[in-house]
Amino acid sequence: MIKFVVKRLLSMVVILLMLTAIVFLLQKLSHINPAHAYLGANASQAAVNRETHILGYDRPFIAQYFHYVSGLLRGNLEVSLRTRHPVSTDIVAFLPATVELAVSGLFLAMVLGAVFGLISAARFRGAGAFRMLLMSFASAPVFLLSLLGILVLSGNLHWLPGTGDTSYTNAPTGPTGIIVIDGLVHGQFAVAWDGVWHLILPALVVALGPAVSIGRVLRGSLEASMLSDFARTARAKGLKERTVVLHHALRNSVSAALSMTGLQVGLMFAGVVVVETIFAWPGIGLYVDQSIPQADFPAIAGVTLVLGVGYVIINAIVDILQAVVDPRVALV
Amino acid sequence: MDDAPRAAEASAPAARGTERLFDAASPGASKSPLVVVDDLHVSFERGGQQVNALRGVSFELQPGEILGLVGESGSGKSVLALTLLGLLPERPRPVITGSALVSGTDMVTANREQARLVRKQHLGAVFQDPMTSLNPTMRIGKQVIEAAGSTQEAVRLLDAVGLPDPASRLRSYPHELSGGLRQRVMIAMAVADSPALVIADEPTTALDVTVQAQILELLGTLRDELGTSFILVTHDLGVAAQVADRIAVLYGGRLAEVGPSADLFGAPLHPYATGLLRSRLVLRTDRSRPIVTLPGEPPDPRNHPPGCPFSPRCEHHSGECDVALPPLETVTATGEIAPSPAGSAMHQVACVRLGRFSTGHAAAIDERAEPWGPVASASRGRNPAVLVHGVHKRFTIGTGLRKKHLLALRGVDLSLNEGEAIALVGESGCGKSTLLRSIAGLQMVDEGEIEFGKGGRPQMVFQDAGASLTPWLTVGEQIGERLRSEGLRRQPRDARVLEALTLVGLPAEVAKARPAQLSGGQRQRVALARATVVPPEVLLCDEPTSALDVSLAATVLNLIGRLRRELGVAILFVTHDLAAARMVGDRIAVMYLGRIVEIGDADELCSAPIHPYTKALLDTVPEVGRVHVRLKGEPANPIDPPNGCAFHPRCPSAEPTCATSPVSLDPVEGASGRRVACPIALRLRTPITGDLNTAGVMSARDDSGRR
Repeated sequence: MIKFVVKRLLSMVVILLMLTAIVFLLQKLSHINPAHAYLGANASQAAVNRETHILGYDRPFIAQYFHYVSGLLRGNLEVSLRTRHPVSTDIVAFLPATVELAVSGLFLAMVLGAVFGLISAARFRGAGAFRMLLMSFASAPVFLLSLLGILVLSGNLHWLPGTGDTSYTNAPTGPTGIIVIDGLVHGQFAVAWDGVWHLILPALVVALGPAVSIGRVLRGSLEASMLSDFARTARAKGLKERTVVLHHALRNSVSAALSMTGLQVGLMFAGVVVVETIFAWPGIGLYVDQSIPQADFPAIAGVTLVLGVGYVIINAIVDILQAVVDPRVALV
Repeated sequence: MDDAPRAAEASAPAARGTERLFDAASPGASKSPLVVVDDLHVSFERGGQQVNALRGVSFELQPGEILGLVGESGSGKSVLALTLLGLLPERPRPVITGSALVSGTDMVTANREQARLVRKQHLGAVFQDPMTSLNPTMRIGKQVIEAAGSTQEAVRLLDAVGLPDPASRLRSYPHELSGGLRQRVMIAMAVADSPALVIADEPTTALDVTVQAQILELLGTLRDELGTSFILVTHDLGVAAQVADRIAVLYGGRLAEVGPSADLFGAPLHPYATGLLRSRLVLRTDRSRPIVTLPGEPPDPRNHPPGCPFSPRCEHHSGECDVALPPLETVTATGEIAPSPAGSAMHQVACVRLGRFSTGHAAAIDERAEPWGPVASASRGRNPAVLVHGVHKRFTIGTGLRKKHLLALRGVDLSLNEGEAIALVGESGCGKSTLLRSIAGLQMVDEGEIEFGKGGRPQMVFQDAGASLTPWLTVGEQIGERLRSEGLRRQPRDARVLEALTLVGLPAEVAKARPAQLSGGQRQRVALARATVVPPEVLLCDEPTSALDVSLAATVLNLIGRLRRELGVAILFVTHDLAAARMVGDRIAVMYLGRIVEIGDADELCSAPIHPYTKALLDTVPEVGRVHVRLKGEPANPIDPPNGCAFHPRCPSAEPTCATSPVSLDPVEGASGRRVACPIALRLRTPITGDLNTAGVMSARDDSGRR
């Protein structure tokens, strides 16, 4: 277990170094001078040159990179050129909403995927219709689904809110930054419930694509498990088909679905940026979306790092879950 | 248990836990039969073609009876077993006619729920592969409790099937148990709730020979104690004969012969049963000539002949065989067809020409086969082709604190001479395949040396011929690949490929086929053709016949014998079957836990074994109505081999010193080339007298007279 944690931490360091290197390379290739963006379009050339020197953008590329990495080790993500706050402060402010959306999206994707996989493998009634519905929604791009949801469910039917994560302007802001939890912590159940209500539509949009992928993998391995020798043994004992599926086949089938979940997390992060922008969800997706046009490279790099850390953590959790599910799997 | 009907069912039939003794002497004298199968037909569509798996099978089974259901692949034996269990796969959808009554319920017409209740209350099942038949992610205890109902009952059952320390084993996962113990767990689940019938589909095929005997003995004991009937499905007539009261031989979806085990194993009447028994190797089989085999291939269930399904392979075949399906008729003790059917204990045969050919004693040595010629390279002197010296090989398992070393080879010396054949015999984990792979150069050894004579790299033939051929290349391309280095043009290369195919007895068309289009026996021939198209100095064979049907295995052994003599290649043949080893090898080396424990001339070793382990292996050769269990337990774990002689924990004649003092492979006085790693056996050994070479090939007629 210790070896597993150490290995994962090392791989996280490597991934983060590579991610920052890529962000720096992009900055180099873009030929945008962040100092120019920082000072505004009307700044004089002299002022830009001075600011470029102060910010260190005139130093060699490698030197900039090492300066950034050494700052990183001290927890310094530099200052956002747009908000003029330290990037770390910005991320602390924006991350909770993203965690809220991503975690509930992932949870929803797993639930929908499990239902989809189970009912189509076990050929329950209505499986075909459910599958059709899920597949047709999942085949649409995220932005189209978002627009559809906002226009129909929010605009026309007024069932669900379409923007932001709360309707309260005086919602509590601590301690987690996640509206639903903070509402509960402060005993303001109306706020928490309103938060859940706001969450449904964006989380659903984020979850649909991964849900279909997870469900298809689950269905495939469930079908194989149900034809397996141990399922035949279970049937020979005279167990009910429902028991065979839920007690024997399912646990032997979730391993592949868990792997797929890990893979989908990366795609989901990309989806979160788009969805947050469309739903005006106050997370790091919205933050980075506003930073990109301003060439706010410190902010972009910071968000990239956070997503990288999230990816590694979630995949480590997937590996642990796989070992929990299958006693033959050892953590390495 | 959350199954609601469980409470109602538990009070149902069986006097659970009571060990009522059953009068096995007169099975079902006054009772109605437990199973009545009448004119059962099963067919389904696969790949657009109609597969006729069962074509009119009828038989009865009495309470407390053990029926051995014997057949090769394509005979329909597994389909019959699954039909009785109501567990035929739903896709492709089977078409079933006739009836199969189990405890009064017709499993053909029963709906899902009815069939499930029959399985729950009256049936148990044991399947072939205990590695895959238990749920890998569920603890043993929970799996047994599902069938047994309570923890207490689960412990009692596991104890009854001989699982050591059952209470603490409940928390084990299947992968933590050995194959034999897993099969015991399967049997515990099968006999839970005292079913009337247990269907065991090849329950011992995946197990080591010494463990196989233990499992067969257990089945017999359970029948005696619980009165449970068994249907023992197997490809091996010998396995069935050891415990079954009656044997039914299936061929091409029909019963060819049904009768008491002693009759069928001793003097079968149907030409197929006779042939099956004849290609079954025993330690008395004549080694000086090829094994008498059944010609042709097992039947293709997509394309049965109109008449007797065996007629295309039958030596007594005539025109009348192909007119209609031969009915199963009762025969008298003298081998004549009886006028009226009389009870289930009768001997029944489906052959219209019965009585018009001599059936003779099946085990008789068939004099028609020409004796083997001399080995081509015998005149080339006795230079070693392979010299193995002090070879050690270990594998690392696990990581960190749980890191362990599996000691696969612990100091092996072996010298294979030019043109010689040595058979390596041993159970799983003994290192025989590791030794072969090391010689083939497929892995490096940790210690010791492997030297070759003047020849080049050895060639290897594997157990699973299907998996060892590339699926998308034609047979011709795969054989021709080995000729690429010779820089031949297309035409001479094709000619060489054709020559190689002819040598292994395959038609020229096979060159254009892909492996999937061939049968198992044909694929193994292709593998041999690929290995010998450029004749190697040494041919390494890793259990090449163990995945094949009995009749095909014999033909492949004959083929290896012929290739050896015609091409003069030296052969190292790995097998778990001493009888096959004796047919192939000039010498036999018996391995146990990474070491050779006995080596010597094949006939000498089989007729006068010295090492207790060799004796135990020889004892696994089947006899009617008796199971020898000479060895308790299973081969020890190569991860932590016992000190001293590794065999001592299982050895019936072990002494205290065996656990401490190391043993070496010492020469045997008065027997040249014989070496044994057991000082006690060597000390107690009575001096060998008489001609050993003839002792092993005693005429079977003399032998059978004594039976």
